[in-house]
Amino acid sequence: MAAPSPKTWVRQPLGWLLLAALVAVGSAAVAHWRQPAAAAVLLAPPANFPAPVYEVAKNQPNEAAFELGRMLFYDPRLSSDGRVSCGSCHQQARAFTDGQALAVGVAGRRSPRNSPALQNLAWHRSFMADGGVRGLELQALAPLTSAQEMNTPLAEALAKLNANPEYRRRFAAVYGPGKIDTPQFLKALAQFTSALTSTNSRYDQYVRHEPGGALSADERRGQALFQAKCSGCHATDLFTDESFRNNGLDTAFPLDSGRAHITLAPTDAGRFRVPSLRNVARTAPYMHDGRFQTLPDVLAHYAYGVRPSRTLDPLLRQPDGRLGIALTEVQQREILAFLATLTDTELLTNPRFAPPAARQETNPRGMQLSAN
Amino acid sequence: MKNRTLSALFLLAAPLALFSGCKKDSDTPEATSTGSVNFTVQNVVPNTNVVGVQPPTPLVLNSSVATTSTGETFTVSTFEYYLSNIKFTKSDGTTYAAPDTYFLVDQATAKTLSFTVPNVPTGDYTGVSFIVGVDAQRTGLTNPLDFTGKLEALNQAYNMYWTWNSGHIFLKMEGTLTSTNPTKPLTCHIGGWGNNSTPNAIVTATPAFGSNKLTVRTDKAPTIALQANVAKLFDGPNPVTLSTFMGAHMPSAQSVQIAQNYAAGMFSVTQINTN
Repeated sequence: MAAPSPKTWVRQPLGWLLLAALVAVGSAAVAHWRQPAAAAVLLAPPANFPAPVYEVAKNQPNEAAFELGRMLFYDPRLSSDGRVSCGSCHQQARAFTDGQALAVGVAGRRSPRNSPALQNLAWHRSFMADGGVRGLELQALAPLTSAQEMNTPLAEALAKLNANPEYRRRFAAVYGPGKIDTPQFLKALAQFTSALTSTNSRYDQYVRHEPGGALSADERRGQALFQAKCSGCHATDLFTDESFRNNGLDTAFPLDSGRAHITLAPTDAGRFRVPSLRNVARTAPYMHDGRFQTLPDVLAHYAYGVRPSRTLDPLLRQPDGRLGIALTEVQQREILAFLATLTDTELLTNPRFAPPAARQETNPRGMQLSAN
Repeated sequence: MKNRTLSALFLLAAPLALFSGCKKDSDTPEATSTGSVNFTVQNVVPNTNVVGVQPPTPLVLNSSVATTSTGETFTVSTFEYYLSNIKFTKSDGTTYAAPDTYFLVDQATAKTLSFTVPNVPTGDYTGVSFIVGVDAQRTGLTNPLDFTGKLEALNQAYNMYWTWNSGHIFLKMEGTLTSTNPTKPLTCHIGGWGNNSTPNAIVTATPAFGSNKLTVRTDKAPTIALQANVAKLFDGPNPVTLSTFMGAHMPSAQSVQIAQNYAAGMFSVTQINTN
């Protein structure tokens, strides 16, 4: 991608001077706005993380923009019936899921899929269970406009924001005067959603040899089993390889063909995004349609429940022809113990990520947020 | 933040500029002289009220009846499409591709039915072509800031974008099929740009000038009168039987077939006025 500065500058000595000045002024400006702690994670990821995919430089972390994004995320006025916000289906204590098998949108409408956890989105190459959305900022448009979710055309959402003096004031403070437009709206939301990082579970502390990073014998056995039997898909410390796979839930996929809905390729039927397993103990129910209530149910599926189909993932076909993953009861328990170490209370309880009203009570700086 | 940063930058830069004597890129040789080309678009339905070949009649939303070549009829409530990547051809075969030309034509919004392409090198042109839709490079952009300025017509707020399958809807026709009993809704959202090996509905229309010539001069802004016959969505290389048509809502093989139809025969140049 091209650098945001005009190309003509860098061809000349003066260009470099200007660039240096820009960097100096820019850093001062960013420092002035106090970068959110989460932004530091994006700018300098922990040792066990790769560089983010999201181009943070094109949406420089900024406290006021983050707060604006948070206000938008929790604002039900953006839905057609005024009752559903992003936060309705993405609740912090559940790693930004909702505890429902299928997400509930305006007028009680059911979405065809389970609400995914929102965490480490800056590392995603694509979004949604079928990978149809191609960027973090574009992603917000899908639930906003979906008839089963918030059911609001983008132009209407922008009109609502522009009619609201509080939003006008807050957007102008960040982006300058003028109408609130699509990029401002999506970039402000992305300031919040990209900040929802999970990098500090007990597992992370363990692999980074940090204080508090101890795993029990059971958990370590679980980790070894996980490495051997699960990490083919739930790879790296992001715990997903971001591929689309058929994990044997059904023999046919007439209602939701998953990845094939986007690619129209029969070879993609029944393939869904491999989800991250971070905070997985908090994100029940499981699978793209929320069919499994508990994690033991999920492990039992892989041990005994995998069903055949033409697109079943090869990793779920054992050499002896049996389907699934060979896992004894004891091994399943050990893996469960390991998965629990992926719970990251920092993401689940950080007051910065809570609805703005809740923050007023716990705001350490005593900053006054105006009431809606 | 950006504004303050930039103004601070200019304050710093101003004194430097005094001493540097730097030159701008625009000192490169001046381009050849240019003029503008105006376009008007008239959406029409075939005229079947009288015997013999008659000129089509202007489309009136929710009122005009469009008739396909097989006699099926429909009315139209929404008719919108992108015209982009406009290219002019001279008689010697050389072409001029006008950069950043993206126009959204919406039958419901009168001001979108005409537009201007500036900075066309002067000369006599014998042809025009354009993508009906959006090129893959631009529709594939993921940063919302990209759809501002010259690409403002591509802003997602125009509701010509699939939010669940990132990419523009190239053409949208909604209406009612009236030749069935009962009538049924007709939805035709065409798009798909070949990402993930999906069907690619990016098509180019090259409506013939016939005996017309396009004369571009610095002091002359000619107008190309385009006509778009909505019934041609379903006629052409891939005739569509509307009574069994399930609608088009996503990138698909059907989408591509309809795109091939509208590329082949929907547009015509009815007149070129040289002012």
